[in-house]
Amino acid sequence: MTNDPRMDRPARGRHAGAPNTLTPRPKNQSTSQLSRSLPTVEINEIPQSGTPVITFEHVTKVYPAQPNKPALSDISLQIFAGDFIFLVGHSGSGKSTFIKLLTREIKPTSGKIYVADEDLTTMRNWRVPYLRRNIGCVFQDFKLLPNKTVFENVAFALEVIGKSRHVIKTQVPEVLRLVGLADKLNKYPDQLSGGEQQRVSIARAIVNRPPLLICDEPTGNLDPQTSRGIMDLLERINRTGTTVLVATHDRDMVDNMRRRVIALDRGHLTRDQERGVYGSDV
Amino acid sequence: MSSLIYFIKESFKGFTRNFSTAFGSIITIFLSLLIIGVFLVGGVVVEHLVSSVEDEVTITAYVLDDADQTVIDETMNDIASMEGVQSVNFTNKDQAMERFKATTNNPEIIDQLDGTNPLPASIDVELSDPQLVEQVAASILNDTPFASIADNPADPSESIKYGQQSVERLFTVTNYVRYIGLALVVLLVFIALVFINNTIRLAILARRKEIAIMRLVGASNGFIRGPFLMEGALHALIGSLLAVAVLQALRVTAMPRIQGALAFLSLDVSGQTYLMIYLALIVAGLIIGLIGSAFAMRRYLKV
Repeated sequence: MTNDPRMDRPARGRHAGAPNTLTPRPKNQSTSQLSRSLPTVEINEIPQSGTPVITFEHVTKVYPAQPNKPALSDISLQIFAGDFIFLVGHSGSGKSTFIKLLTREIKPTSGKIYVADEDLTTMRNWRVPYLRRNIGCVFQDFKLLPNKTVFENVAFALEVIGKSRHVIKTQVPEVLRLVGLADKLNKYPDQLSGGEQQRVSIARAIVNRPPLLICDEPTGNLDPQTSRGIMDLLERINRTGTTVLVATHDRDMVDNMRRRVIALDRGHLTRDQERGVYGSDV
Repeated sequence: MSSLIYFIKESFKGFTRNFSTAFGSIITIFLSLLIIGVFLVGGVVVEHLVSSVEDEVTITAYVLDDADQTVIDETMNDIASMEGVQSVNFTNKDQAMERFKATTNNPEIIDQLDGTNPLPASIDVELSDPQLVEQVAASILNDTPFASIADNPADPSESIKYGQQSVERLFTVTNYVRYIGLALVVLLVFIALVFINNTIRLAILARRKEIAIMRLVGASNGFIRGPFLMEGALHALIGSLLAVAVLQALRVTAMPRIQGALAFLSLDVSGQTYLMIYLALIVAGLIIGLIGSAFAMRRYLKV
């Protein structure tokens, strides 16, 4: 086991991160919609009240390549500030389409989508970058730049939205401490384990303190133990008030965490359940 | 402000990242603008020449050796009253000989003449408006008694000579040169555009991942495009500055020699004209660079 750095590192990473678990991040970004955040570990009751962060109203998406098989059909749902949601379903069930609609990479064929009270279907193209500044994204393949260090990769996200060097110098080390990589600032991505790379990717997604974090198969490339560490981290981020949406195939994780589960099957919403499980229907 | 510095930094990085293509696009811009510049300077010089030739358009009407002086005077008076005529002078046989001696470049001919003078006397008409040369020549032939004293009585029109033919020939030549130059310029601009386009395309491809992440974290479109526009403009600027430098070097070194070889023509063009040409080249280079990279971005950089 000592010969295998991949088994060793995530554990260390978690230890390094643990003392910071409850260090409150300055929440100057949280808006009124997030005011009912900071839920304790058991957010069991259905959050019926509050401002929805995401609203889908009869959303249908049909790709021109498959006109008879909608990728999503008539999806209506609401996601509230501070929620932690699993989005589950087979490949081709529409999970990726769901996420692309949220970041407005694509537009729905019909229906309305609201993110933080903004109507994505009528949003002007030049506004899209500002929408994306309020949505952190984490992917299965990390999407890190190999020629930049950990610090530079995270700093890049702030640089390109025009943040000052001062902001970068204070926020980047802070967020890297939060994800447990304070001692790896100057490493390059290929010097890190998969779990550590995913932590860098998460750090980059939340460094601008977006109210919404979307993760597309964040643990798809990771072993179960490392995955557990990543999910702990996401839970911790959720506890600071960030709404977290995780698309996943990981049955064990969904079953263990018992959070709200939205299940998609061939484009249809088959289940929307508080404290749900992965289930046999997907 | 900080993003401007970022753009410049990134565009300079483009040189090291893709040196050969950056070099290629700079060289094509440079050569295109150099050739355009040479044509511009050449055009200005020829324009200058043509106008100086036009200024010198005169009509020479050759007169019979034994023509009656009163008829000559009458003809000259008639001509002087015509529209577009500035002055009328009479050159007698001796004066014609003197002028010939002064301008000829093989004096042996004069020795072979053995003192005889075959040159005819002439009426020299200077025009104030070179456009009227044909009209004035025709009315000398028809409206004055010149036909009776013409050096060639059989065909008096043969005795009237003016610069029109040579001016026309000059005009056709300069027109051809102009068309060829224009075609060449269009071609070269097109090639330069293609090169810039390709260079920027490669720069975009090399930074695919970075661009994807920039879009992901919400960099504005201008911020993503800025470095590429800057890179195209920078290549063009370097190319055009090179072209201007070479043109200036040519002006200083080659122009005096050409002038020396063609002493009878005045190739002198004012420094201000050169300045205008240089400015035009730099602006044209910048426009080519910006348009080339804008094309590349439209095709390869969907934001």
